[in-house]
Amino acid sequence: MSEVNNASPGNMIEVEDVSMMFNLGIDKGFSLKQGFVDLFSAKKRRQKKEDREKNKFWALKHVSFSVKKGEVVGFIGANGAGKSTMLKIVAGVMKPTEGKVRTYGNICPMIELGAGFDPQLTARENIYLNGAIMGYTEEFIDSKFDEIVEFSELRDFLEVPVQNFSSGMTARLAFSVATVVDPEILIVDEILSVGDIAFQSKSEKKMMEMINGGTTVLFVSHSLGQIKKLCDKIVWIERGEVRKSGGKEVCDDYLTYMNL
Amino acid sequence: MKNLIINLKKYSFLLKQLVMRDFKVKYKRSFLGVLWSLLYPLLMTAVMAVVFSNVFKFSTPGVSYLAYLISGLTLFNYFSEASNLAMSSVVANFGLINKVYMPKYIFPLSKALFVGINFLLSLIPLYLVIIFTGTGLNIYHLLLPYSYVCLFLFTLGMGFLLSSVAVFLRDMFYIYGIIITIWTYLTPLMYDINMISPRLAFVMKFNPMYQYVNFARTIILYHNCPTAGQFAGCAVSALAVLALGTLVFKKTQDKFIYYV
Repeated sequence: MSEVNNASPGNMIEVEDVSMMFNLGIDKGFSLKQGFVDLFSAKKRRQKKEDREKNKFWALKHVSFSVKKGEVVGFIGANGAGKSTMLKIVAGVMKPTEGKVRTYGNICPMIELGAGFDPQLTARENIYLNGAIMGYTEEFIDSKFDEIVEFSELRDFLEVPVQNFSSGMTARLAFSVATVVDPEILIVDEILSVGDIAFQSKSEKKMMEMINGGTTVLFVSHSLGQIKKLCDKIVWIERGEVRKSGGKEVCDDYLTYMNL
Repeated sequence: MKNLIINLKKYSFLLKQLVMRDFKVKYKRSFLGVLWSLLYPLLMTAVMAVVFSNVFKFSTPGVSYLAYLISGLTLFNYFSEASNLAMSSVVANFGLINKVYMPKYIFPLSKALFVGINFLLSLIPLYLVIIFTGTGLNIYHLLLPYSYVCLFLFTLGMGFLLSSVAVFLRDMFYIYGIIITIWTYLTPLMYDINMISPRLAFVMKFNPMYQYVNFARTIILYHNCPTAGQFAGCAVSALAVLALGTLVFKKTQDKFIYYV
């Protein structure tokens, strides 16, 4: 088990001994035909049980950590190490197979922006739809509508269906909707720069504002420079386990380990 | 229960947005738009009335065959369309379920409500037929919403049940298509229940759809007040299926995410 921090009052997030198992998709779902065939074959059944064991993939193994109010925590690690899974569990999208997660405060999960966009609806309609999906109230969106539109710089395209937008424009709209809140816990998965150069610097500035505004932040990035610059605490996840956690020195250890 | 009400209040705006999205997308590119909700059932019923009364010589003694047909089809079409959409709603929204937290029951619920709007619109052609065939109105029409509410709850229960089964068993989409076709013929929509053998007619009374259709026809065609037994039949069948659907959905929803 990898203890990062002991639970104590003032924590915004407490992750306790969390493990997450996935089936690796070999027996995704269940087809009637296969089920019927397997019913009559003991060998097949045994085979299937073995397959299922092989299929089990522990994306996270006994991960524990806690985050205090206002802390900015960065997660580093190779692709498939379990970073995004960790964020999704904290955001409540997935329930961990084992262990407990407690969060105190409203969460803004910026895990994949614009996930709720409907391409056939206009930008205006999508602001409301996506806002609702993010958990905003109607009054909140009404009051922030102009701010969202201003920030996205898409006022001239409000009545255009999003399917006619370029991917950069869609990303700008999604970013503007997602960042209009003042969340107590901000969960960010690699989205700091969207759009063209001008919008990239604007969106990064906005992120910095949110992060420096006393928000508790969980943050996944492959840019170690960014991580070093922003994070108070760094957690290095490797094959589902916390390999190391601490200050900026974790980044250096990670680099050394990766032979870079 | 208290939790459910708090949740429903919290997510009512999302629910409204999802229903509105479906409604807007449905009519976005069509020339006649919402008018189709009125024309479609009217034309479909007219075609069936011509085929069944002229080719197959079906008739319903004492009442207009057209009114007989549309009073049953209005209810059955709601059930068939809403349960079908609800079934695919969870699978179709995996992209969202995977990224943002929201209660999953909201998807089948939003489909049942969305088709409910179409259902209310389809009452206009129903009443047009009632008037133009000289069937006439009566005071008991005020009781009809009772059967609509039971139909809605029944459909919602089926939606919960089907949508969770469909996650694990994709064959369900095909199987249910066949089930619905059988169900159409096992409900006395096009023929009079008195035309079939008493034994089969007895079995048919356990078909919940028969309960709602029969309730509506007692009022619309025969100008009678439904009996206490009819009231009970509607409520019991609706609540039983709703309870079953809710239970299955609740028990399985945390596993949905593994079957993306």
